[in-house]
Amino acid sequence: MSEVASPPSTAAPDWTRLVADSIKQYGVWHTYLKLIEARTSYPNDLSLRGYTEIVRNTIVRDFLSHPKGLQAVPKLTADFLTNFDRFNLTAQEGYLISLIDGRLDLQKMLVLSPFDQFTTLFNLAKLQHERAITVP
Amino acid sequence: MDAHNFVIAERLTTPIAIVNEHGGIEWSNPAFEGMFGIDAKDWLQQAARVVGGERGWLQDFFMDGVEEHRAVDVEIEGRTFRVEHILNIGGESSRAVALWFEDVTQQRQMEQAKSDFTAQIVHDLRGPLSGIQGTLEFVLSQEGSKLDSMYSDLLQEAQRESERMMGLVNELLDFSKIEAGNLVIEKEPVRVAGVLKRAVRSLQQVASRDEVFLLSAHGRDVPQVIGSVEKMTQAIINLVSNSLKFTPKKGLISVGAQIVRNDDVPESIVITVTDSGMGIKADELEQIWKKYKQSGTKSLRGGSGTGLGLYIVKQIVEAHGGEISVASIEGIGTSMVIKLPVKKASDTGVITASRTLS
Repeated sequence: MSEVASPPSTAAPDWTRLVADSIKQYGVWHTYLKLIEARTSYPNDLSLRGYTEIVRNTIVRDFLSHPKGLQAVPKLTADFLTNFDRFNLTAQEGYLISLIDGRLDLQKMLVLSPFDQFTTLFNLAKLQHERAITVP
Repeated sequence: MDAHNFVIAERLTTPIAIVNEHGGIEWSNPAFEGMFGIDAKDWLQQAARVVGGERGWLQDFFMDGVEEHRAVDVEIEGRTFRVEHILNIGGESSRAVALWFEDVTQQRQMEQAKSDFTAQIVHDLRGPLSGIQGTLEFVLSQEGSKLDSMYSDLLQEAQRESERMMGLVNELLDFSKIEAGNLVIEKEPVRVAGVLKRAVRSLQQVASRDEVFLLSAHGRDVPQVIGSVEKMTQAIINLVSNSLKFTPKKGLISVGAQIVRNDDVPESIVITVTDSGMGIKADELEQIWKKYKQSGTKSLRGGSGTGLGLYIVKQIVEAHGGEISVASIEGIGTSMVIKLPVKKASDTGVITASRTLS
């Protein structure tokens, strides 16, 4: 759940075009981080929140597009196991990493996770993007 | 008022008056005097008062930030007038407004008759439709029934269509209530997390059938707002149902809530319903809130709606003191964003969504 302060807002840019172009050129993760930055400048822009949610939704949809769907079993990568310190994990990500044992599938992780389903999958997608986990 | 405008106003057949904030008439045209005579000063003074915490309608035009061309329906001597605020006049010591009085008695009577007729028709349709739905549900729920798969598929299709028809009928009923100014919103503490959970649960089966992921994206610690549990649930169900129509197989719909804080105090809740559907064209985004307007995008699940769903959602959100916005990218998805104020639990009672102050 995000919390945002309220500095003064300015005229909103054409988010539809900016976000669509950014996704095409730089991909969803880069676009997501840029939108989070933009929210500091436009805290009262409701549609900006909507565009951020569209990008987050796309990230989770892509993560779920694995052929095995929720039956896919995430595993820790060799990189994570050998360079643990390189990964700057949040508390939520750390908890989810602790559940990964090479047998538990996404469906069971959703049941065991104390976070909502979307947040759980979004964090797992982020871990996959950062190559801390792999979903073979 | 300059000389040209004064001459025009004098000759107009529509009643116009310049009224101060105490209800005193500073000027009126002959049409106003002919229509209302000297009695006008009595009801105008009454309209300027605050009685038992209730502001008279004239007070609405003297509130800070009220723009010109605001209008309110007012009952005067048994007739209905649409009173429009056309001009701010006066300085710091004495404020006045120029008001335009249009007799809309007949128009409102016709609208009321149309609204009553729609409500009656809708009410009459719901009865037999409930019967059809119940019968289909009973037949389909019989375990070990000997229906062959063709008949079973046809009955399921009939069930889906009857659900859709019930949705359309309910939309018409809500619309007729809004149009008649009868959409009553109870002011009770509402657990937003519970509302979202209920909405997701009620459509989970439909989403599974359509092979669409429907996920919650909120924790339990969402603050309460003041309003109607029933109407808010209806608004969220409406948005999720809409998303289901436009999200392809293997797509994702998420229903989330975020808290917006000001100095660490929860100020409002932002609810989002986001899908990975086909999106809405940029030039259609502003049109979707209008009644009978539908996006040019064709539903993936067949059938068309009344074009009232999003209009009704907007009315419900605004009756809760909130605002609604849409974000969409063609081919990627759409997000409906609702912002609701977090209010004190002591702020309870009843709100009536009315179209009088436009």
